[in-house]
Amino acid sequence: MCCYGCRAAAEWIEQLGLADYYRLRTEPAPKPDGREDGAAAWQRPEIFRHVVRDLDADRRETMLLIEGVRCAACVWLIERALGAMPGIVRIQVNASARRARVVWRDAEITLPKILEALSRTGYRASPLDSQALNDVRRRESRDALKRLLVAGFGAMQAMMYAAVLYFGGNEALDPSTHELFRWLGFLAAMPVVFYSARPFFTGAMRSLRARQLGMDVPVALAIALIYAASLIEALRGGGHVYFDSVSMFVFFLLAGRYLEMRARHRAGDLTDALARLTPPFADLRRDDGTIERIGIHELRVGHQVHVSEGGIVPADGTLLDEQCRVDEALLSGESAPVVRRRGDMLIAGSVLVEGPAQLRVERVGADTALAGIAALVERAQAERPQLARAGERAASRFVMRVMILTALTAIAWSYFDPSRAFPAALAVLVVSCPCAFALAVPAAITRSLAVLARWGVLVVRPDAIQSLAETTHVVFDKTGTLTQPDLTVSNVETFNVASRESALRMAASLARESRHPAARAIAAACLGDHVEQASGIRSHSGLGLTAFVAGRELRLGRIDFALAGRADLCDCEDAVLLADDTGPIAAFWLTEKLQPGAHQAVDALGAQGLQVAIASGDSASKVEEVASRLGISQWRARQLPADKLAWLADLRANGARVMAVGDGVNDAPVLAGADVAVAVAGSAELAQASSDIVLVDGRLGSLAPARALAQRTLAILQQNQRWALFYNLTAVPVAALGFVPPWLAALGMSLSSVCVILNALRIGREEATP
Amino acid sequence: MNVLLVMIPLSILLLLGAAAAFFWAVDHDQFDDMDTPGLLPLDDSTRHDD
Repeated sequence: MCCYGCRAAAEWIEQLGLADYYRLRTEPAPKPDGREDGAAAWQRPEIFRHVVRDLDADRRETMLLIEGVRCAACVWLIERALGAMPGIVRIQVNASARRARVVWRDAEITLPKILEALSRTGYRASPLDSQALNDVRRRESRDALKRLLVAGFGAMQAMMYAAVLYFGGNEALDPSTHELFRWLGFLAAMPVVFYSARPFFTGAMRSLRARQLGMDVPVALAIALIYAASLIEALRGGGHVYFDSVSMFVFFLLAGRYLEMRARHRAGDLTDALARLTPPFADLRRDDGTIERIGIHELRVGHQVHVSEGGIVPADGTLLDEQCRVDEALLSGESAPVVRRRGDMLIAGSVLVEGPAQLRVERVGADTALAGIAALVERAQAERPQLARAGERAASRFVMRVMILTALTAIAWSYFDPSRAFPAALAVLVVSCPCAFALAVPAAITRSLAVLARWGVLVVRPDAIQSLAETTHVVFDKTGTLTQPDLTVSNVETFNVASRESALRMAASLARESRHPAARAIAAACLGDHVEQASGIRSHSGLGLTAFVAGRELRLGRIDFALAGRADLCDCEDAVLLADDTGPIAAFWLTEKLQPGAHQAVDALGAQGLQVAIASGDSASKVEEVASRLGISQWRARQLPADKLAWLADLRANGARVMAVGDGVNDAPVLAGADVAVAVAGSAELAQASSDIVLVDGRLGSLAPARALAQRTLAILQQNQRWALFYNLTAVPVAALGFVPPWLAALGMSLSSVCVILNALRIGREEATP
Repeated sequence: MNVLLVMIPLSILLLLGAAAAFFWAVDHDQFDDMDTPGLLPLDDSTRHDD
């Protein structure tokens, strides 16, 4: 603890009974950034109608999107803090979706009060459009869980009944019992095929209507054929039935899809992403000078809008004030806030660092630059490289071949012995499908998804594993991905008498009053030291600071400001200078701090033979500096999202498989257009929504091991497929010719499946944990 | 083997019961959040009246 104030605060937290938060949390929370939304405007009827649903005369319901929820401790804190308020009927927070469903009584509490209480707790919340209450995702996940369970129960039952048929043999069972177990198997498989497998059938119908041969078509065909053929066999009373195989087949496929869906839901979606970026309100300045807070969708071109310091620009517009400073890092990737002068364009979604500002709205809604980026993301996603679907294509090719083989078997047998054509064809279909297709691929993929998730690498699209293994180039974004958003003091040079520490202390006494990133870096550099008292601090916009410390006037800023025309006194162009009337005292060099582990990550990727490059929206000198520190030779600066995308397309045209790693909104189109897109944790929602892989704890160091694991997964997958092929090639003809009794065939099939699963379990066993 | 005629319908009934219970649980938010409820017992002061 640093002071009495902290101690008092800590004791107060303890008294309130909220100290458990620190015990329960599993991740450090982000620091508050001091921005504030005036919540009162949510009560305006125009906005209220949009976000709130009436449950009955008194009770209202809304869905809140909560920023900063990291782990279950946050959920606990929110539910506890809000649940205790009078008038709150129910609050339910979902940590992974970062949403809270709140029901309250309008007579006792209002929406702004709830939002205020939340922001006091430290979480910024914004109500979502009331359509979010319908919650498509929740329905989807519940549906999938039910289908999975029914398939699991059905498969277990069907296998039990089938085991009786296999091992009971023909001697132990009298014909009527034999018949009974067949129909029981049919009964158990019925809900599996007609309820659990329905997504495959609807998916197949959809892709057939679109005249495509998607993944679902062969799967649905195989399920339908095996089921129908087994039913015919059961009716005829001859041959073999495969109700157990078809249920297992469905169960394994659903299990794989369920895992995939869970990962996808955690990564967020585009609607959420956009909702978070633009503020819900704008402060409209009326002709008579009064300011009124209105909803963002009421904003029209030509309106005059007031943005206070620290606020988010609500729409694209031209600046009416003399000058201001905005942070556009989210959109352009530029690390330092930029100065905008009268008549310049401000972009919606950027943060006003130094203000306030008045602007004239030029573009709203779908016309803004931000919406343009979102549109670019969608287009890039639609034009997603074909390679991504290679895994899918391989699987459907395999099933297609099995289908052809089945048809050939049937035709061949109908020449020699028509009565055996049907069972033989069915045997081929059954023996090859579940083992090779339903197990060989999903078992390996599922295992590697689980291992990667444990390493903090969340794979959203399982196809990405193949692309990841085949990557040849890695393109990093700079700001926020390789470097931290804050600056840091890298070097201090002192002149005359001052020591390094005393110079820092003097500079910090000025700097701590400013929000400029350079000032913040200097203030942070002497954290914990006693700072000298400064009086009469004045901020000269865009230039620097002056103040009186211990009786003399100090100036902190760029060289031409600090030395005011006597710049020849020292040679430090890029530094921040501290000076008094007599001359320079100290010079501070600032650099961007590298993300922890960035260097090792780049080295490890290089060691795997990958080309590493940087594409950044920042200025050339900054990009070059970071590139040289990391030993990266390929870099491009001042890249707009469209430029990056073009570069990516260029690389890909030359045969490269590109992995893009980024975090900002400006990276989203690039991520969507890459072969593999990796978003760093804590990155913009839009970036996460357009990525294949999310690094949950933000450690770039996991990238190289993840790629190694992906390669191993592919190797094991091929082993599995080869084994399945070998088994089928030897077993199917023998079984089809009638040399193998059914129980031996069943045993062989099961043992072969066990082999495949055990092989898949080797993934992640020998690799070093990052 | 006649005992099968009792046991098998019984097992199917049990299975239907289990499936119905699971469907009920899914529909009543039991599987929506798998992280938070595990922490609740650690908190001594949580009210259990609702």
